[in-house]
Amino acid sequence: MHEHTPSVEGPEPSTHAAEYAAAAKRHRLLGIVKGVLAYAILALFAVIAIGPFLYLLSPSFRQSYELFSYPPDWIPNSLYWDNFKTVLNDTSYLRWGVNTLIFATAVTLITLVIDTMAGYAFARLRFPGRTLLFALVLSTLMIPTAVLIAPLYIMMSNLPDWTHSGVNTFPAMILPMVVSPLGVFMMRQFISTLPEGLVEAARLDGAGEWLIFRRIVLPLMKPAIVVLGIFTFMFQWVNFLWPLVITTTDDMKTLTVGIASLQGQFVTNWGVISAAAVLTMLPVVVIFLVFQKWFVQASMAGALKQ
Amino acid sequence: MEAAGAREETWDQLSLSEVEYRRAGARYRRRRSVRGYLFILPYFVPFLAFLFIPAFWSIWLSFNQGGILDEARFVGFDNWRTISEESELTQSIRNTAVYAVEAIFLVFVLALFLALLLNRYRKGSNVFKLALYVPLLAPAVLVGLIWQFLTNFDFGLVNLALDALGFDRLNILGSGTLALLTIVLAEVWRGLGFWTLYFLASLQSIPDELNDAARVDGARGFLRFRRITLPLLKPMLLFAVVIAIIANFQVFDTVYVLTQGGPVESTSTLVWYVWKRLFQFQETGQGYAAAVLLLLIVLVLTAVSFWFLSERRTRKA
Repeated sequence: MHEHTPSVEGPEPSTHAAEYAAAAKRHRLLGIVKGVLAYAILALFAVIAIGPFLYLLSPSFRQSYELFSYPPDWIPNSLYWDNFKTVLNDTSYLRWGVNTLIFATAVTLITLVIDTMAGYAFARLRFPGRTLLFALVLSTLMIPTAVLIAPLYIMMSNLPDWTHSGVNTFPAMILPMVVSPLGVFMMRQFISTLPEGLVEAARLDGAGEWLIFRRIVLPLMKPAIVVLGIFTFMFQWVNFLWPLVITTTDDMKTLTVGIASLQGQFVTNWGVISAAAVLTMLPVVVIFLVFQKWFVQASMAGALKQ
Repeated sequence: MEAAGAREETWDQLSLSEVEYRRAGARYRRRRSVRGYLFILPYFVPFLAFLFIPAFWSIWLSFNQGGILDEARFVGFDNWRTISEESELTQSIRNTAVYAVEAIFLVFVLALFLALLLNRYRKGSNVFKLALYVPLLAPAVLVGLIWQFLTNFDFGLVNLALDALGFDRLNILGSGTLALLTIVLAEVWRGLGFWTLYFLASLQSIPDELNDAARVDGARGFLRFRRITLPLLKPMLLFAVVIAIIANFQVFDTVYVLTQGGPVESTSTLVWYVWKRLFQFQETGQGYAAAVLLLLIVLVLTAVSFWFLSERRTRKA
């Protein structure tokens, strides 16, 4: 807020002391006004970001017809819990939650393992074709998922039964989602910033590549792994298109797909749908509060790695 | 340094001949290469199976019909001919382009503005960062629901406000232009936190000295932004534009939960078109071809933005 003040001091403060003091005061005042305005704008956007979630809380505790009362009463007179009961008893909500958890966790774990290994190889190991293969990975960055769903669906539906990974199974849901060119890129960039001396020293001491990777590289990569892990998990938690395509029965749906299907079933029952939405947001908020420090750092670090 | 010293010591007591050393070296390099391949293997198997091969397969599929419920059969350029004559696809491309331009422009301007504020007023900025981040965690269905609530004719906040101000209520999702605008706003709302933090991180990588020097020279806020901050942001802006184009041309979730492409086809986007053809209408051939068209559009746009932004960057420098 006061960053401006020093620059106002002119070369000869003694001659026009009064004038300078007045200018400085004006400047300071302007600075304060600007600061207040800036914080007001930031607060406004914070409210815009969070407000709508609170907006959903009210209908989830009311009967649907109460929504249509005019003038609207935002605070319900009494809490109406039946919407939540309906969601938990009459829909496969809990099953969807478990499915989503399995799906997002599995994708995240597999992604972390294969991306760190590939990232390490691309950054630190020498082998013929390294640059070419890396370019190949990067060039697939711009392939939209929508392009892949048809071939992937056909692939999954043609798998023989003994693989247990046809349409509407967890392997079919999970495996195609583990390939993220951006993840490999991120890991490679991060490993490149690690001091090479450590790896060289270990190599001279006779450590094998696998030992070096596990004992030296992996511990140093903890921040990058957390960042990639959070990003992958979040992204898969809300992933919609592929789970929508690959699941055919209610008990295999993920939360996003399941709730979207509720909109058809309870077309006018806004209370039930809001209750389901509030319940979906709960685990996300918990994860968010636990990892809040990491979330902000994650997006910051992601940008800085460019 | 130490490593070099150690090597000198070993060279003093050579026990193998030069040929033997060379052979040992070759053996070591071969082993190292094999290790390299082993390290990338776990990534490359799924990469080839689920990304690389399907990408080319999709091109082949665009010359086929069927395959999802029945056997695929080759039809030549039939699909391409059909979709080129279809107004729904043209409309979907136009919608996607309008949506992407509006959404990217709006979210970038707002995010850059907020990032500049957060960069300048750092006291307590963590609270704002966290708050801006929350919408990003909301699944699309939730975003869709929130915006349905906001725009509902009977009890939506927007209509209540219009009513209170004495205006007529609007059937927002029932009108083509307003429905597309709602999707734009919903996606901007969702993405604002991410891009704000992205630009904030980019801004913080610019050394303060440059701005301070310009300030001492009497450069005003906007001039400093245009002549110092913006040129230095260019490379990060390029990456952002590319990522935003790739992401926004795939808009689907919000369309699915908010409008289902309607009213009529006014919010039908490319991915919505593809999905509908493939899994609702069973007009698979057109879906395949439209998917490849999406790929081509994204490739061209990425190339153009690379060319455009890097060209201007070098000219400035």
